[in-house]
Amino acid sequence: MDRYELRRLDYSLSEAHTDLQAAYRQFFKTSCSIDTVRAAEASGFDKNLWERLCAMGATTMALPESCGGDGATLVDLTLVAEEIGRSLAPVPWIDHVCAARLLARLGALDIANDGAADLVNGAQIAGLDPQIDSAGRVRLIPAGSVADHVIVRDGETIVRLTFDTRPFRVDNIGRLPMAWIDPDKADTRVILAGGTEALAGYRRALDEWRLLTAAALVGLVEETMTIAAEFAKTRYTLGVPISTLQGISHPLANMAIALHGGRNLARRAAWFLDNEPDERPELAASAFVFMAEEAAEAATMAVHIQGGLGVSAEAAATAYFVRARGWPLAGGDPGASAKQIAEIVAARESRAERRS
Amino acid sequence: MDFSRVDLCEDDQAFLDEVRTFLRTHVTDEVRRRDRETGENFDEGVHLAVGAQGYLAADLKPESDGGFSPVRRRIWELERGRARMPSYHTGTTAMIARTVEPFASQQIKDEVLAAAHTGHVRLCLGFTEPEGGSDVATCKTRAVRDGDGWIINGSKMFTSNAHNSQYVFLLTNTDPGAPKHKSLTMFLVPLDTPGIEIQGIRTIDGDRTNITYYSDVRVDDRYRVGDVNGGWTVLRAALNAEHGIAERDVHGLQKTAAMSEFGVQMAEAIDAIAAIAAEEDNDGRRLLDDESVRYRLGRSIARTEAALSTPEMFGRVAVVQTIRDVTPDLMDILGTASSLPADADSSPVDGAVEYLFRLALPAGIYGGTLEVFRNMIAEHALGLGRPDYSPPKR
Repeated sequence: MDRYELRRLDYSLSEAHTDLQAAYRQFFKTSCSIDTVRAAEASGFDKNLWERLCAMGATTMALPESCGGDGATLVDLTLVAEEIGRSLAPVPWIDHVCAARLLARLGALDIANDGAADLVNGAQIAGLDPQIDSAGRVRLIPAGSVADHVIVRDGETIVRLTFDTRPFRVDNIGRLPMAWIDPDKADTRVILAGGTEALAGYRRALDEWRLLTAAALVGLVEETMTIAAEFAKTRYTLGVPISTLQGISHPLANMAIALHGGRNLARRAAWFLDNEPDERPELAASAFVFMAEEAAEAATMAVHIQGGLGVSAEAAATAYFVRARGWPLAGGDPGASAKQIAEIVAARESRAERRS
Repeated sequence: MDFSRVDLCEDDQAFLDEVRTFLRTHVTDEVRRRDRETGENFDEGVHLAVGAQGYLAADLKPESDGGFSPVRRRIWELERGRARMPSYHTGTTAMIARTVEPFASQQIKDEVLAAAHTGHVRLCLGFTEPEGGSDVATCKTRAVRDGDGWIINGSKMFTSNAHNSQYVFLLTNTDPGAPKHKSLTMFLVPLDTPGIEIQGIRTIDGDRTNITYYSDVRVDDRYRVGDVNGGWTVLRAALNAEHGIAERDVHGLQKTAAMSEFGVQMAEAIDAIAAIAAEEDNDGRRLLDDESVRYRLGRSIARTEAALSTPEMFGRVAVVQTIRDVTPDLMDILGTASSLPADADSSPVDGAVEYLFRLALPAGIYGGTLEVFRNMIAEHALGLGRPDYSPPKR
């Protein structure tokens, strides 16, 4: 591609963006304390929080107007995802909106159908298999224990599974409502679509999942960095705050660098998916690959900076640490996304070379 | 938020065409080859042509005073990058000229700045000293009053392009007994003054820089910039400009961070590697078929795109740190041939990765080391306080 093309590089947020951001930041600040997060660890899900989040329109906004939604842009959704990461909110919002948007794309979210409205407003939860290549039939679905509908790719088709009894949650480092799902044991199994277009629709859902997870990890890193920085300012060693030691301050600066880069990349990726989806299809996965790596490193260092106090299971830092690893891992090996990026760019650049 | 292509009006489109024609005419393969050979990042013929075309003046002046509009400034920046115009020191002159202007006497403005607009005068930086490193305030070069002038003694490192310049923007110590920030005075010293010696040094990226020595150099007081012992005020403005933290808001028509042009070169090289990885050999095999190649390439792309997105002082670190981090993997992917420099027989991507690997070392040092910027982020973005500098053990 032409790296010297005259395009704007304007990352600024509009007033509507900052209003949206402020509303969700305030919501999670008042509704999702670290105690709320801890209290939901056994199930990975806070139903009350979910219902209040849905009442704010957080699921409705994500869907097209033709399905009774508010038609928010992906840029808007990254702003909400960032606040979910900042607060570690135990809600399957990313999985749900990616799955519901996929249903809408496949024409399986018919507004005349009663069930559809419940999916739009979040009364029913949709989950999906976010892995690029799921090996084997039985798979770990991140929202599997709370989802009313589980969307998976099965060979060349996209299917919707429901279970009369919800599958059991398995404990996991991301504290997600994760469950092993066996498509063959579903009580209903509906083929939604098949063929090239349907599979492309599924790939788009995986891109959106990676994009929003990257945005959530940005918020996660910012909050755990802020907590560690506050600690470092008030913790003294040999008469000086440890924040003035470069062995502490430079890793914190590196976290700030990573989150500013990851945040802008996620927003740029979202803007391209919203406005010119065929132009930079590698960016969503790029944001994910970058943040998957950086979040674990940052969250580890944030614990380390708080030393013996940081490693205690009660410290907020450890809550961030486990999720920094577990949330991206829910999508499978991030290396699969890295390989996808290489394929996309190689195909584009060899086309460009043949043209010139 | 906006990443769209800029729709150009007829006049701006004509300007773009004019710039491209100009660069094709003046920035020839021969100019680029000579630049790689000498490492000067400067070509006098090109520089004077840019001046004659009016681009130097337009780049130096604000839009209100006949300078480039934001869109034209961006076009000029992008197109000279695309053409690989040796232009690094065009920027140095511009930065010094802008810094000096508010502090300079009318005489300096007439003698120096006017000729900088035509290209006949070039300016270089004399901040860093052999023993000072990035802490420019530890200045040992002395200027002592002598009637209506000053006598200067000392030495400076990284006075890049001094041998193509007419003046050095020199930081001196005029009051060694005073606290360091109240002891500095700035001068624009004519480089043809007796007592100045310029000694070339080549750096690992192939660039040429200089050490300059000053032995009883006599300079008239009219070349002083700012107040006596008021150099810190002048220097602050200059460092802000050099650090690229004073970028103005022009709706996305600016670089994302200082030195992001190196990130763009990195991205250009990766694109070329991706094309190579997709080529089939005689047996129909592609580099990309190797999963470890695919993984390393994809990860390098992801990290480069993140660096290109990183703003301001954060980006200043991210771009260079990322080039340092990803170039080894990219060289490995290309195999032994990636050890060949540009102009060598069958060098892949014309030696671009091998060059960037070397470039990222000095690029993380000059213009303020990466640690200087991490300190700034720690202090100003995170409020962690100034670093604790313990006195040396006695």
